[in-house]
Amino acid sequence: MSQFPELYEAILTGDANAALARTKEAIAKGADPEAIVTGTMIPAMDEVGRRFECNEYFVPELMISARAMKRALEELRPLLAKKGTKPLGKIVIGTVKGDLHDIGKNLVASMLEGGGFEVVDLGTNVDPEKFVETVKEKGAQLVGLSALLTTTMPAMKTTIAALERAGVRGGVKVMIGGAPITQEYADEIGADGYGENARSAVVLARKLVGVGG
Amino acid sequence: MEGRDASRPAARPGGDGALGAGRSPTRRFALVACEIFYREVCAVVARSRHRIDLEFLPKGLHDIGRSGMSARVQDAVDRASASRPEAVLLGYGLCNNGVVGLEARDVPLIIPRAHDCIAFFLGSHERYLEYFYGHPGVYFLTSGWIERAQVSGDLRQLSIEEATGMCLSYEELVAKYGEDNAAFLGEELCNITRNYTQFTFIDMGVGPSAAFEEAVRAEAARRGWRYEKISGDWSLFERLADGPWDENAFLTVPPGCRVGAEYAGRIIRVELREKRA
Repeated sequence: MSQFPELYEAILTGDANAALARTKEAIAKGADPEAIVTGTMIPAMDEVGRRFECNEYFVPELMISARAMKRALEELRPLLAKKGTKPLGKIVIGTVKGDLHDIGKNLVASMLEGGGFEVVDLGTNVDPEKFVETVKEKGAQLVGLSALLTTTMPAMKTTIAALERAGVRGGVKVMIGGAPITQEYADEIGADGYGENARSAVVLARKLVGVGG
Repeated sequence: MEGRDASRPAARPGGDGALGAGRSPTRRFALVACEIFYREVCAVVARSRHRIDLEFLPKGLHDIGRSGMSARVQDAVDRASASRPEAVLLGYGLCNNGVVGLEARDVPLIIPRAHDCIAFFLGSHERYLEYFYGHPGVYFLTSGWIERAQVSGDLRQLSIEEATGMCLSYEELVAKYGEDNAAFLGEELCNITRNYTQFTFIDMGVGPSAAFEEAVRAEAARRGWRYEKISGDWSLFERLADGPWDENAFLTVPPGCRVGAEYAGRIIRVELREKRA
């Protein structure tokens, strides 16, 4: 059982205000920020993911839980930084060039944050070069590419090619997703993985950085 | 813009004009199309030298997932094939992978190499891409997209929007998730056009264009979006109805084969039926 059951519950029910209040209380009582994250917040988000997989939760529930988790995490972030706590991995994520759709990408980004990753979100319509630049700058281990339109899917391949040209492809794992994306397409363009939904994206990201999950 | 003036209907290929006086004998085809093309397809079929039997399927199939869409289009293709036309012509593009896996049974299938309906209205995939990348945030509208804005019947229930909660009203969101979360979800989940900044009305010159144009212009003003009107191009519709179906612009799927996706380049390809289990 979580050390902070009320925070756990607040994340599970998507109550962002309660999640923030319970986090502040825990900090005030001198709780270890890392323990709050690993002992309560990540397990809460994993439970949210489990409920999604079982069709108990749907996209809106995922989104409000991720929002509650984020609200709590923002409060903890300065303390985690001070302690030098390392995330599971850094991921640079964005919707590829030409595509402005971001509902799915934002959800994946939130779920990854809730799953213990540091997420650098480049937004939508992202140039391949911008991905390359950010991977270099942040030292990311993962790149997440999203597309909603088949028209813009080829930009995923172009982005992977840009990572290769820049000599950074070997240092990152590339995962792709979006409504028209398939495992077959991921294989075809040489991506390292495909996530069918926000939950499977977290499982995949953990697998790609070698963490169980 | 490039392309023929959409306000002038095309001359009939063959150029004769007298009923049944074409140089080639009448050939018989079937055409299965999305209802979004209703006006355009009716116009080209009426002008075609061929006899073309028509079936329209409801708009919105691209939102019910690949297998759901391809099953429904396959049923229509099979119905159309039953009367043994020379070929079944398809008024669909790749449409969110909805044509992937479609099989040509006893007669060939002819499909334009297009990602979606916008390439049809603009006359080619190339013109579509050029405009699309030149106008980030563009939302295209045509007579069909205005007249048939609502997705009807079971398609709405099956749609991704419905499954993900994107269709929920603010009141429904409040009732289910409370006011604080409703405001968040209303913007982050349900405002599906929030990153769009421009309406482009593609004028095909069919129907009351001025009224359509005015409606789009007014909606653009209401949203604070840019507005542009461009002329449509009939050539892809005409070539679909009349042939010839050159390899660069059309995929011919021989009997016993199926449609696969290529995305880049030629968009769709022929696959052997056995390839996909």
